[in-house]
Amino acid sequence: MAEEAGASAAPVGGDGKMTMVVGVDESEHSYYALQWTLLHFFSPGQVQLYRLVVVTAKPTAASAVGLAGPGAADVLPMVEADLKRSSLRVIGKAKELCAQVSDAVFEVVEGDARNVLCEAVERHHAEMLVVGNHGYGAIKRAVLGSVSDYCTHHAHCTVMIVKKPKHKH
Amino acid sequence: MEPERAVASSGPPGDGGAEASRGMAGAATMTKVVVAVDASEESLHALSWALDHVVRHHPGASLVVVHAQHPADHFVYPVAAHGLAYIPPTAMESMKKTQEENTRKVVARALEVCAQRQVTAKATVVEGDPKEAICQAVEDMHADLLVLGSRGLGMIKRALLGSVSDYLAHHASCPVLIVKPPKAHTKGTGNST
Repeated sequence: MAEEAGASAAPVGGDGKMTMVVGVDESEHSYYALQWTLLHFFSPGQVQLYRLVVVTAKPTAASAVGLAGPGAADVLPMVEADLKRSSLRVIGKAKELCAQVSDAVFEVVEGDARNVLCEAVERHHAEMLVVGNHGYGAIKRAVLGSVSDYCTHHAHCTVMIVKKPKHKH
Repeated sequence: MEPERAVASSGPPGDGGAEASRGMAGAATMTKVVVAVDASEESLHALSWALDHVVRHHPGASLVVVHAQHPADHFVYPVAAHGLAYIPPTAMESMKKTQEENTRKVVARALEVCAQRQVTAKATVVEGDPKEAICQAVEDMHADLLVLGSRGLGMIKRALLGSVSDYLAHHASCPVLIVKPPKAHTKGTGNST
């Protein structure tokens, strides 16, 4: 189920450009990754070799909350509305950041981030996927799972991982 | 080495922290791209991919090819896909020579790939555990981007499959670009990471 929040046409660019998918979520790390990408690949003076597709995953209410029992049916719509608002906010902020990119596509796709990003790569025939990472240590990654690790291994294209530096030098 | 300020700043340059305000280190141009190579085809493919998709896009960028050589006193070597054998000290000399020869070949091949695309590149050889050595080199060189192939960056392929790229993706001091092998090779072998 994909809703295209941005105005755009068919996935294949008729202008011979390659496609780059950037995954964003609410974290500062992913906005940093988006900004880094814009700075180095989409800055106004440069020839744009890539078409930009910004994707955010909206988890389903059921997966986010995991409720069962009485009362679940009442809570789910609220959680759903909240999640939807949250993803629209993410995409809104991404749109602001990408103001100077002429033909960027913005998508909110429902599902788990891992699958959403890999599937977006397939759908757009992207040559590159860009993600930030939360800078979790090994244990946290094992417990919480790492979207960037998953994408590195499963996406069918080159993956660029942009980390927010811990300290400025 | 200061990257040249592409944007003319109006006003006194007294505020040295102007760049930091953006949160991005250095100017907007990508000045240094580091590509890790070894004897594998995947890393050479990664180098070619980086040249075609990134370096081409940033004409001012300098490219450095990094090869991590296992330390000379490494007295085990892999046999077949996942065996290990210990070698006697007497054979160390010849092994060291072979290793240096291999390093030369790897570096020469990488530089040739760059030259084919009219890109002059520098080469660096680092010693020690590949992931830590490359990580350190990237930091020392203040690289803007590190490029790796997705597998094959270690001699003991099965055991370390993908772990060098995982390590660097999480520890390198700059963004990391991981290039997959061309599609023809990935499917069908059943070897998914």
